[in-house]
Amino acid sequence: MNLKISNSQIEHIKGANSYLIVSTFLIFVVGLYFSLLDSPPDYIQGDSMRIMYVHVPSAWLSLFSYTILAISCIVWFVTRNPIFNLFAKSIAPIGAAFTLIALVTGSIWGKPTWGVWWVWDARLTSMLLLFFLYLAYILLWQSITNQETAAKISAALGIIGFINIPIIKFSVDWWNTLHQPATISKLSAPSIDINMLIPLLIMTLGYMCFLITVFLIKLRIEIIDQKMVRLSEV
Amino acid sequence: MFRNLIIRDLKIAFFTSTNFLFTASFFLLILILIPFIFGSEIGLLKIMFKGLIWIALVLSILLTLSRIFNSDYDDGNLDIIIRSVSSLESIICAKYIAYWITNCLPLVLFVPIVGQLFNLTFQETVPLMVNLGIGSIGMVFIATCISALTLGAKRTTFLKGIIIIPLYIPFIIFGVDTDSWPILIGLSMIAFVVSMYASIYSLRLYGE
Repeated sequence: MNLKISNSQIEHIKGANSYLIVSTFLIFVVGLYFSLLDSPPDYIQGDSMRIMYVHVPSAWLSLFSYTILAISCIVWFVTRNPIFNLFAKSIAPIGAAFTLIALVTGSIWGKPTWGVWWVWDARLTSMLLLFFLYLAYILLWQSITNQETAAKISAALGIIGFINIPIIKFSVDWWNTLHQPATISKLSAPSIDINMLIPLLIMTLGYMCFLITVFLIKLRIEIIDQKMVRLSEV
Repeated sequence: MFRNLIIRDLKIAFFTSTNFLFTASFFLLILILIPFIFGSEIGLLKIMFKGLIWIALVLSILLTLSRIFNSDYDDGNLDIIIRSVSSLESIICAKYIAYWITNCLPLVLFVPIVGQLFNLTFQETVPLMVNLGIGSIGMVFIATCISALTLGAKRTTFLKGIIIIPLYIPFIIFGVDTDSWPILIGLSMIAFVVSMYASIYSLRLYGE
C-alpha cells in the first residue's frame, strides 16, 4: 500500500509547525517563570525540588510517547497504511530522549534528596528498561536493510514492548519503594499544592508542544524519505 | 513430521559442537569464574552461585540463539521446511523443543552436581532447579521470537541481546526468589503466547 500523502499536505505540516514553534517557546517562557520564580519552595527540600518541573513532565511524556508508538503499531497492523509506521518511527527518538532526560534529572534530584545518584527500585529500573526498549526499536529499524520488512518487524517489536508501560505506572504502588508514589490521579483530588500544580501543568503543556513540534519535523523527513525510496525503486 | 523435525535438530546438535559435553563444559567454566572473581569464602560462594547461574543461562541462550532459525535460514533449509509442513506452529515448536533439550536441560540437570562445588546440598538445589527449568522455558520462547524477528539481518548479535535482555528481566526478578515459581509459570505462558504469534508472523514474512 502506498503512502497517500501529497506534497501540499507536507507543506501544510511545515506551516502548522511554524505556529507550534512559536507557541512552544511562549509556553516554556511562561512555565519557566512560574516554576523557577513564582512557585513556593518545598518545606523540606527547599529550592532543589524545582527540578520536579523538568523531571515529571519528561517522565510523563516518555510514557505517553511509548503509548503512541504502540498504538501506531497496532493501527498499522489493522489498516496497513504506512503512515502509521512512520508515526511510530518518528516518535521513537523523541521518547528515548525524554526518557534519558527523566533519568538524568531524576538522578540529579536524587543526589541532594536521597544521597545517592541511583537506587535500584522498581520505578527507576523500569524507566531504564523503557529506555532500552526505545533503543531496541530504533536500532531494529536501522539494522534491517529492506525497508518494507523493517517496517513489519519493528511494528511487532513495538507492540511486544508495550507490556512495560503498565509495569512502570503501577510499579510504585505494587512494590514499596523509595520513589514517591503518585500524587496526581484521575480519580481523586490531587494531593499536591495548587501553587505547584499550575507550573507543573504549564511545563507539561510546553513539553507536549515541543514533542509535537519535533515529531512533525521528523515525520516530514520520514515521509519525504519514504517517497524517495519508492521513487528510486521504480 | 513434527517428530522428524525434532530428531533432525537433535542430531545436528549432538553431532556438532553444541552437544551435551560442550554445553555442560561451558556452564561449568562460567560458574568456575565465580570463586576467581569473588574469593572462596563459602557463604559468599553459595549466594553468588544462586545468582550467577542465571547469568550462565542468559549467556548460553544469547550465544547460541542463531542455531534456532538463523543457520537454517542462511542455508536455505528453512524455506524447504516451511513449504513441507502444514502449519508453522509445528516448525516453531519442534525447533524450540530441540533447542531447549540441548541447551537448557543440561544446565538444569547439572545444577545439583555443580552445586556440590559451591557447598550446596541437594535439598537446597531443588528449588533452584525448578525455577531454572520453568524460567528457561519462557526465556527460550522469547529468544525464538526475537530470533525469528531478525532473521534476514546481518551482524545482529548485539542487537538481539539489547532486545532480549530487557524482556528477560521479569524472569530474573522472579527467578531468583525461590517462592515465586507460580509467577514464573505465568510469565512463561505469556511468553509462549506472544512469541508464538510473533514467530509465526515473521516466519510467514521471511519464508515467502
